[in-house]
Parts: sequence; structure tokens; C-alpha cells
Amino acid sequence: MTRTGRMLLGAAGVAAAAGPWWLGDGPMRFLSELFLMLAMAQMWNLLAGYAGLVSMGQQVFVGLGAYCLFATSIALNVAPFWVLPVAPLFCAGVAAVVALFLFRLREAYFAIGTWVFSEVVSLLVSKSERLGGERGMGLPTAKLIDPRWLEPLTFWLSAAIAAGAIAGTYALLRSRVGLGLMTVRDNDLAAASIGVDVWRCRFVAFVLAAAGCGLAGAVSFAATLYAAPSLAFDPNWVVVMMFAVLIGGIGTLEGPIVGVVIYFALRELVTVVFNLSAGWYLVGLGLAAIGVMLFEPAGLWPLVRKRLGGDWLSVQRQPPPADTAAGATGDRTATAAYDRTGVRSP
Amino acid sequence: MTLLEVDALDAFYGDFQALFGLTITVDAGETVALIGANGAGKTTFLKCLVGLIESKRGAIRFAGEPIDREPAERISRLGLSLVPEGRLLFASLTVEENLTMGALNRRPGSWTLPRVYDLFPVLSERRRQMPNALSGGQQHMVAIGRALMSNPRLLLCDEISLGLAPLVIDQIYASFARIRAEGASIVLVEQDVKRAAGAADRVYCLLKGRVTLQGPARGLALDTLSRAYFGA
Amino acid sequence: MIWIETIVNGVLYGGLYGLLGVGLALIVGVMRVVNLSHGEFIVLSAFIGVSLAHVLPGVHPLVLLAPVAVIAFALGFGLQAVLVNRVVTRPDPFASILLTFGVAVVMRNLMVEIFGADPRNLPAGRLAHASTTIAGLQVGVLPILILVVSIALFTLLQLLIMRTRFGRIVRATADNRDVVRLMGVNPGRVYNVVMGLALALASVAGMLLAIRSSFTPYSGVERLLVSFEVVVLGGLGTFWGAMIGGIALGVAELVGLRFDPNSGPLYAHLLFLVVVLMRPNGLFGARS
Repeated sequence: MTRTGRMLLGAAGVAAAAGPWWLGDGPMRFLSELFLMLAMAQMWNLLAGYAGLVSMGQQVFVGLGAYCLFATSIALNVAPFWVLPVAPLFCAGVAAVVALFLFRLREAYFAIGTWVFSEVVSLLVSKSERLGGERGMGLPTAKLIDPRWLEPLTFWLSAAIAAGAIAGTYALLRSRVGLGLMTVRDNDLAAASIGVDVWRCRFVAFVLAAAGCGLAGAVSFAATLYAAPSLAFDPNWVVVMMFAVLIGGIGTLEGPIVGVVIYFALRELVTVVFNLSAGWYLVGLGLAAIGVMLFEPAGLWPLVRKRLGGDWLSVQRQPPPADTAAGATGDRTATAAYDRTGVRSP
Repeated sequence: MTLLEVDALDAFYGDFQALFGLTITVDAGETVALIGANGAGKTTFLKCLVGLIESKRGAIRFAGEPIDREPAERISRLGLSLVPEGRLLFASLTVEENLTMGALNRRPGSWTLPRVYDLFPVLSERRRQMPNALSGGQQHMVAIGRALMSNPRLLLCDEISLGLAPLVIDQIYASFARIRAEGASIVLVEQDVKRAAGAADRVYCLLKGRVTLQGPARGLALDTLSRAYFGA
Repeated sequence: MIWIETIVNGVLYGGLYGLLGVGLALIVGVMRVVNLSHGEFIVLSAFIGVSLAHVLPGVHPLVLLAPVAVIAFALGFGLQAVLVNRVVTRPDPFASILLTFGVAVVMRNLMVEIFGADPRNLPAGRLAHASTTIAGLQVGVLPILILVVSIALFTLLQLLIMRTRFGRIVRATADNRDVVRLMGVNPGRVYNVVMGLALALASVAGMLLAIRSSFTPYSGVERLLVSFEVVVLGGLGTFWGAMIGGIALGVAELVGLRFDPNSGPLYAHLLFLVVVLMRPNGLFGARS
């Protein structure tokens, strides 16, 4: 990363840390929501864009994270944020177990399998009296937090989770597992034939994405102090993740950021500026998705990057500098595999 | 009379240029062999003719009509029929259904289902079977029959001897006499030089997307041919 | 006895589920496209049916099946011609998924704006509750009618695809969309008709479902999930498989509701998961 890059990042960190003192309540709540959505979108991008796993049931982890946090906090009678780590751990555990079964399904079958799994969990939670059934449950332990700190804490956590999701995905993709993931996405047979453990790479991505969504979901519902099955396991969670990733640019780290910003901008524009009902921004979102698929199927970010140039958050590896001409051609074939991730302008 | 006239044809796959200024003609009633090693551009050339490759430059005229900008589904109605490499039969259709697919464009002419069965009697016995149950040679017969059912003026055959036993190849090549007698011209794409030259009136040799040799098939000197074929 | 009755009703009801899914199976089988707006079109047909019933109060809703199916055919034809054909040849499977997903979201929210979010149903008068006794079993007339219509449509579809010239073209296009062009067939036009057919079948199911239970603009998601389950259970792209899959889901749901009244579709989902995990290619797909 360049010097300016580091300075910008540091400035953003300071601005976020000081956020509660210079942002109003409204903007802070809005940004918290945006950060959490960004983290979830990045998780979905990790699954679909890098691991080749299209999950249409990712909302199950959002909901499980929330319910897990509520139940633990109430059972132990401690403030919700102290037991926050249980949410991602629990979701990771659930993901690890269901992966054993769901990974037997491929492509469209996997997508539908995850969706049905989510519906099953949602129905089971609706039937559980301990978890409040269809009426849902409140979070009385939130009283243990000074109410003045609830919103700033949510804001800081959300910002940290978003930053962590991006940095974590970046680090993962630069690792050996990440390299394996990208070969798996492009051609799982070929990847297996060169010794990549396809199953393990996908497993790691699935478990991490579940943990990320669980954490974001837990914070999101802790902030509203209330969770119900129809909200926590709402398929709209995955709808927004999918939209943000696909509109922004799947298989790039920047794409979900662009997509989430577009999503929230559209929502504010329609509901606040034009004062229309929420349905119209969803209509706009749908039209945006149709437009992107017809005219710019790789998403908007690759288009922007072509204009701006530069490397940004490319996870592309560079060949060793001492390479000869023969090495250079070898590198071309090797990097062709991650065209969708980090193509630099030629 | 010239049936097919190709002038300075270039073809591309993305940034990669596969054909460089091909100029090839086929006269009515003629059989032309197109030979060349793997990757010489033979299949690409045929795909250009039938309209399956869109990024191309140059002129293609068939029976006097320019067809280089026409879509594949219209070109087939003009009487240009391809027996594709690897046969590409419809796996969920029976042998007879595969054959009738060829007659969809309803070109009038002498080729009908009974005539095709007459040409390849074994297909008649297997008309209700699925193509995957047939031997490789029989599958080739279905592919040729399917192409004939559209009563083509020009039949394009892509590597029809590939992977077949010599005896079966003889059988298939023997059918060309009948096909020509019905008035069709033929373009044979082959790697087997001797076989193709034996059946053709004229030969074009391709190397890396360019014509390196053309002339009458009879009296073709083996060393000139091998130079054109391998580029030595 | 009550159990046998429940199972019989499940079978009758399941025919409808099969009909919901068969259109999706047709599309997946022929053009390898997953249409995420399938559920919204099912709901839209029900709204069109309700509106027609409102305009023509004397006409029985079963008579309206025909005009609604024709309208749905036209909508499907248009959807394919205007939008889906532009992405169908792309190697990237996300293209058609996101496109139809966008269509689904637009339709769902436009329906909320136009028709409102209140639950509706298609009034069918006495038919909705009429029942008859067959071999000592109390069976609803409507469910029987639904199963008869489903089987009739399945048979017609089977004949159309396996026995007619058009069906031959459809199967050939599914096998290889480039080679049919060499026979003068425009694959895009074949797809238009196939999408029209798929949505026409789905619209009939949507109308019948609207007689049986209420719906809102948001019901499309549930309808899509059921259709998906039917398609996957039956094995992608097989018609009778879809029928059997639908019946299995219907029986599981009604039996589940019998001994666990507020379970909703829970047991149908569980059945789906169990079957698919045991046979990842569906009941009738080849084992891999």
C-alpha cells in the first residue's frame, strides 16, 4: 500500500473513532446499518465470487447470530456486547456441521439447499416458545448498558466489523487458501487435479462467511433490541447482499463497497428526497440490476477501475522479478485464472 | 459456374486471428478437399461459411449472394449444409428424428427419408434408437444424412474420417459418388491427405490460417504437399 | 381413516405443486436458465385472475383459466424476447440469475403499489368447499379437480414435447443451440415460446392455488421455493419427476400439519432436504 493510501486509511480510522462526537444520531445509525450490510455483502462475495458457492440462505446466519446473542445475553444476564463473540462462533459451528451435508449439492442445488435450510431454521425458531415464537423476543439485558453508549458502541462495532470483513477477506485471498479458492472457482476439476483440496477451501470460506454474517446480524439486532423470525431470517438479507455484490462487481473486493453505497444512496434518494414509499426504491434497485446485467455484466467497479487505473485492492500476485521470458509466459497462463479478481489495466 | 466464392477472409476469436486472407472458390458439381494440420483453421473456415463465427472480414458469396453478414439460420436455407466435426447429433432425439431435423428448412430436392435410408441401409434398421447407441461410423452416417435432408447445394464435411476404422471410412467415402450424382458440390476437410486427395477434384492446403497450396488433386507431388502441410 | 384422507388430500394438493414447478423444470431443461421471477409471475397471474373475476362477475373462475393462461403466455414470450435472450448465451450463470432476480423485485414491488399488500383470494363459490365421498373417504371436489387438471396438462405437455415437430425442435435446441441454427432454427424464438408455455402452466397453478388459499404480492417467494423444490426433487428437467416431487411435497406438508398444526411447510422442507442429501440429483436424476 502506498504512503497516501496508509494516511487515508488512518484518517478514516480516526474519523470513525471520533464519529459519535461529530456525527448526529441519524447519520450514525445510518452508517452503522451501511457498515453491517457491507460486511455481509463482502461475506457473500467471498462465497459466490471466490469460492463459487452461491448461497441463497445466508440470512440463516444473520438470524442465528442475532438469536444466539439474545439467548446467551439473557441466560447469563450480562450486557449483550460482552458476549458478542458467541454469535460468530455459534454460526461457524453450525456452518461447519451443515457444510458436511450441503456440500454434497452442487450449484443450483446448493443454492436451493441453503435456502431451504434457512426456511427450516426459521420455522423451527417460530415454533420455539423459549425464543418467543413468531412474536419474537426483546433484549432486556440492554439495560445493563448505559443508554448513551448504546448507539456509539453499535457504530464502532459496525465500523470495525466492516473493516475487519474487508481486511480479513483480503488477507484470506492472499493466503494459500485464497489461491486455492480462486482456482476452485474457475475450474474445480482442474484445481483438484493440481492438488488443491477443493472441499477444504470451500469449507473454510463457508464457515468464515457464516461467522461474518452471524456477527453482523448479532450487532444489527442488538441495536434494535428486538428479534423476530420474520425479520431475522428475512430472505431480503441475502437479496441485498446479492444485489450489492453483483451490481458493484462480483469477485472484486471493491465491488461490494460500491454496491452497498449504491444500494443505500438509492434508498435515501427515493425515500427521503422523493419521499416515495419503500417499494419504489426496490423497484429502482431491480431496474439497476437488470441494467447492469444487460450492459455491464461484470458489475460497475471493473468499469470504474478501468477509468481510474491503479491496483486498488487487487489480490493478484506478482511474478518474481528475476523471471526470464519463459517465466513470463508461464505467469500469463497462471494469472489468467484470476482475471475476474484483479486485472490491472494493461 | 462458381458456387462458392470466398475472398480475403479474416476471422478472429477475440484478439486472436485465426484466418488470414483466405481466397477459396468451389464450382458447381465440384469436390474440393481442404487439408491441413491441427489448428490450421479448417474448422474455423467452415464455421465462417455457415455463419457460426461473427467476427470476420472479407467477402463470402454463395450462388452469387453475399452471405458473410447473414445469420446461420438463414444461410442454411440457401442450401449450405455442414456435417460438423464430432458429429454433434441431438442426443435426446432418435435417429429418425435427427434426420428429420435436417428437413426443417423445407428445401425442395431429391433427398428424402427413404433415399437417405437407401444410401445408409443400416440407419433404417436403427431408426428408433438413440444416437448414443450407435457405432461411430453409424453416427457419422446420421450426421451426413441429416445434412442431406436439407437438399444442400454445397455439403461441408468436417473431419468425417476422424477416429473411424479404415473399412468404415471406405463405406462413407463411397457414398460421396451418390451425393455428387444428385448434384451437390462437396467440401471435404481432412487431415488424411491421401484419402481426401483421392476423392477430390481440387485441393487447398491450409497452414496457420493461410492457404499455402492450391491445385488439381491429380498429380499432386508429395514433397510440395508436405512442405505446404508442415511449413517446412 | 383420517390419515388416509390426509394422504389422499396431500396427493391431490401435490399435483398443484407439480404444476407450479413443471414450468421451471421446462425452462431449466431447455435453456439452462434459472428463472427467479417464476414465483412473481405465478402471483401476477392470480392478480390478473382476480381482476378479471371482478370485471366479469358472472363468469366462473375456472373459465378464466384460459384467458389468464393466454396472457401469461404473452408475458413469458415478451420477458424472454426482450430481456432473457440477451443474456442466455453468456457463459456466466449469474447473468440470467441476477436479471430474472431484478425482474422479480421490480414485479413484486410494483404489485404492492398497484394491488396493495392485503391478502386476496379467488372466490369460487360453492366449489371451494364442496366435497364428495369416495369409498368412504371425504374428499374435496376442488382438490380432485385440481389433480385432474394437473394430470391433463402434464400429459399434454409430454405429448407436445415428445410427439410433435415443435417438441422435436425444443429437444434439439436443448441439446445444442448452435447446431439447430444449421437447420434453420432460431434458438431465441424457440426460447420465447418455451418461456411462454412455462409461465402459462404456472399461471394455471397460480389461479388454482388462489382459489384454495389467499396470496399477497409477497407470496411469490414461497411459490418460487416450492417450484424449486419440485424441480430439484424430480431431477432437473424431467416432467413426471416434477409431478412426483410435487405430490411428495404435498403429502409431507399435509401429514405434517395433521400432527403438528402450526408447522406450516416445515415437514415438506425437511423431506426435501433429506431426499436431496441422499440423492443429490433428485429422485429421478442419474446418480453421480
